[in-house]
Amino acid sequence: MTSTKLTVSHAPFWHDGDSLFQMNLNIILALLPATIFGIIQFGAPALGVVALSISTAMFWEFAMNLISKKALTIGDLDSAVIGMIFGIMLPATSPWWFVVVGTFVAVVIGKMIFGGIGANPFNPALIGMAVLMLSWKVMFDFDAAYVNYDFGFTALAPLAALKFKGAAAIAGLFPWENLIMGKQVGAIGSTFGLGIILGGIYLILRGYIRWEICASFIIGILLTAFCFHQANPATYGGPLLHLFSGYTLLGAFFLSTENSSSPVNKIPMFLYGFFAGVMIILMRNIGAYSDGTVLAILLLNLVNPLLDAIRPKVLGKGANNA
Amino acid sequence: MIKRSFFSLSQPRLAYDLLEPDLKEPESIPVPAILSVLLPEPIDNTKQALIKKGDAVKKGEKLKLYDDSTAYTTSPVAGTIKLFDSYSDDFGNIATFITIKADPTQVSEANTINLPPMDDIKLADQFLRKLPGAPPFEILANDEIKITTIVITGTDTDLLSTTNQFVSLKYMDEVKEGAKILKKLTQVPKFCITIPENLDTKVSFDTIEVLKISNTYPSTLPAMIMKDHLNTVMSAGQTPEDSGICFIRAEALVSLARTYKTKKAVFDKVLTIISKNGTRHRIRATIGTPLSKIFARFNININEQDRIIIGGPMRGVATYTPHHPVLADMDTVIIQDRDIIPQLSDYPCVNCGKCIRICPANIPVNMLVRYLEVDQYENAADKFDLESCIDCGLCAYVCTARIPLHQYIRLGKHELLTLRADA
Ligand code: SF4
Ligand code: SF4
Repeated sequence: MTSTKLTVSHAPFWHDGDSLFQMNLNIILALLPATIFGIIQFGAPALGVVALSISTAMFWEFAMNLISKKALTIGDLDSAVIGMIFGIMLPATSPWWFVVVGTFVAVVIGKMIFGGIGANPFNPALIGMAVLMLSWKVMFDFDAAYVNYDFGFTALAPLAALKFKGAAAIAGLFPWENLIMGKQVGAIGSTFGLGIILGGIYLILRGYIRWEICASFIIGILLTAFCFHQANPATYGGPLLHLFSGYTLLGAFFLSTENSSSPVNKIPMFLYGFFAGVMIILMRNIGAYSDGTVLAILLLNLVNPLLDAIRPKVLGKGANNA
Repeated sequence: MIKRSFFSLSQPRLAYDLLEPDLKEPESIPVPAILSVLLPEPIDNTKQALIKKGDAVKKGEKLKLYDDSTAYTTSPVAGTIKLFDSYSDDFGNIATFITIKADPTQVSEANTINLPPMDDIKLADQFLRKLPGAPPFEILANDEIKITTIVITGTDTDLLSTTNQFVSLKYMDEVKEGAKILKKLTQVPKFCITIPENLDTKVSFDTIEVLKISNTYPSTLPAMIMKDHLNTVMSAGQTPEDSGICFIRAEALVSLARTYKTKKAVFDKVLTIISKNGTRHRIRATIGTPLSKIFARFNININEQDRIIIGGPMRGVATYTPHHPVLADMDTVIIQDRDIIPQLSDYPCVNCGKCIRICPANIPVNMLVRYLEVDQYENAADKFDLESCIDCGLCAYVCTARIPLHQYIRLGKHELLTLRADA
């Protein structure tokens, strides 16, 4: 009898063709509209920051792979996504060391020491962001960052203006149709709301992010901001101002949806998204930070394991057991 | 291979294949010179075997290893025993295979069997267990199991396969005849047959209740049929028999009807061979025929690293040899080219949630796999519902990290049973 060496493995023998590389590539694609807009708006320095951020993030993972003598994993583009998200959350004028330190914290502390992809309890990019914010708060003063720029619109970061002047003083300065078209001062990739929304919708349709989180996140933002605004319109900004400024939209579509730090079951996803939205507005309106997105999402990451324990009834268990 | 659609906000829908409209007779494969049959009992060298190399066997003769064996098989041809040896399946379960050299000079007239009277299921189990279609007589003859419903499967449990549909429509009268005999044998009050809901041919099965099954995978799996049509939820870790339901292939009934009609054991198994380019060959082969003989008939070349799948793409078993024999419960054989075999990875779960969305049993696969990876089988069963899994394979089909999820799950179940047996 001839012996042909066959491939022997277990069912299923088909796969839908998806992979981590595909998923991450699509996330990068979805980030492009907002990123390219930011690069056009803020010029070459913005391009420099984003490029440096992506490349150093990948470098840190590569270095960690070498040190821990593990297989090289940068090909899955996971660190590229972390670097890209991290980069577009920075002001275009960030110095190089700031970027490098940030991606180090994000990739090495936020992801690799927890065991690499899939094992991170927090969104790695947000870990990097939080550490930078706590250590160098002044770097995130977007108004100071762009003093040398000449934009053809209100050159004030909306949330900072809101925080320090109150809603009444800035009434009319930030019409939402300006905000959504990127006529605002902010991080490289956070200003072009329309681009972020389109990217987000693309990812939802492709099934790469979970719509339940995005939808409930936005509802959480709108509802809470609306309540505050109704209670005291002179102090608190309206829901649309909150939705279209700061990191809100990035948070809704790209930050809160990070796979391993967010829930996968239906009800937990709604709760998680909703409370992330609520927390952000609470931090903005009551807390010390003008934009609470980073800390609010990290906080929800923290309770995610508790939330995600709520899950549907399994087949063959429960009341009607035979 | 069905790939994920570009937009996949909703779950992918994997549809079963439907039977072709004109049902041609299957092509007969001549009886080969050498056949092998499997006997589900390991060889025990301390005992004196009843069979030995060189023994002459008659067609239809019952073969068992030892005096006290309950497992047996039947010889599909007249000839001599050439060899018998151990065979181990993919989980290390040991069986025995017996190779028989056919003797074409002995005409099949010798094929006589003691036909059990039509009211004795125990005797039927003694002689007819190995009929093509593998009737579950062992279950039906067991006094401790009370079966109240018999479900005849006229639907195929896996994608691509259409063999059950073919048999139940092409040989409808014999299915009905076989059902009558089975009713006499078992006295089970309720008989149903499953038929794909979008098959638009007229079917009439007299007193047998027709269950129209949706064409979306995995609705033809026993657990899903029970849940959707029989209003019975199978409890975790249980079998359909525990709920009084027994599934039987339509082909088993056809074989039963033919056996009682001709008073001879039958060994012709209908199967569908799906070649690399997707061409279907419907054939009729004697149980024990090596698959390689069938491939040769259709000029199907098997190359290094190709995969031969017995069953379907979601639930089948890959064999390591092209000489694997045709078995009584083998419906479909698929040859997968090595170039389209999907690559798996050793990545951990990234928590993308696709498995959760698709799992028909609502199992937290993402959590489950973390426990299975570190061999925590008891925890996996207690906290993460390992035993509720209905083995559809969908989680592994969609996994973004390409983890062999279903392999972990099957191994987990297997280990759990071993643990419990040892406890
Ligand atoms: S094989 Fe996977 S998808 Fe299917 S029931 Fe089991 S856990 Fe769920
Ligand atoms: S599909 Fe795979 S990677 Fe995604 S959550 Fe399930 S097990 Fe994890």
